[in-house]
Amino acid sequence: MNLFRSEAHARRWDGFNPKMAHAIKPIAEWADTFANPFFRERGRADYISWTRSDDGVAAFRALRSSLPLPADD
Amino acid sequence: MTDDGAPLQLLDRGYRAIMRQVVETATAPHFTALAAELAIPVEQARQLSHELVSITPGWMAPETDLFASFPPFNLQPTQYRVSVDGVGGWYAQCGLEATAVRWLFPGKTIRVEAPCLCCGEVMVVEMHDEEIVATEPAEIVGYTSDVIGGSAESRPFR
Repeated sequence: MNLFRSEAHARRWDGFNPKMAHAIKPIAEWADTFANPFFRERGRADYISWTRSDDGVAAFRALRSSLPLPADD
Repeated sequence: MTDDGAPLQLLDRGYRAIMRQVVETATAPHFTALAAELAIPVEQARQLSHELVSITPGWMAPETDLFASFPPFNLQPTQYRVSVDGVGGWYAQCGLEATAVRWLFPGKTIRVEAPCLCCGEVMVVEMHDEEIVATEPAEIVGYTSDVIGGSAESRPFR
């Protein structure tokens, strides 16, 4: 999970996987994804308990639904 | 008590202790230090360390009990150098987790500097709470070559 200077740079990377080409996104979009409460709440004293609460489970579900999956062949 | 592991309250205390030290010092505690802080037996602290990195999800240095990654941070250097209000020393686990470091430093400016894996030229991202303050160049993208949250074995390689 890396940063690149542009989409063209990401596509030229040796590790580029065409099945995940749609995962190339502007950093602002990834920053929005990583603003999910699953990440925001890491500073709380009861973080692990929170991840298992209704709010935590809902946040994780929302996060998973927003993550790119490999394209079909 | 969790299904197979440590009691939930102990997981909370352990996570809090580790994260607090990483935020304050950019280092993670050895399990013996964690045992002392949590007032638990050394072996229990060692097992707790492994359980917590499997949850977070991070990873230990292979075949050791030493923290390598505790997201959003990496305890071994990565290409993602992080500074907080001008003070360096932290590394992000990956380029995408680098954008989540800001949530652990409310009110402070987070600067991430990293070379592009394609060309080696430096990129800079600055964040302050909700705001992406600056990106250089403006066209920076994030990319993952595999599913985020995939198998534990692939975590360091995505």
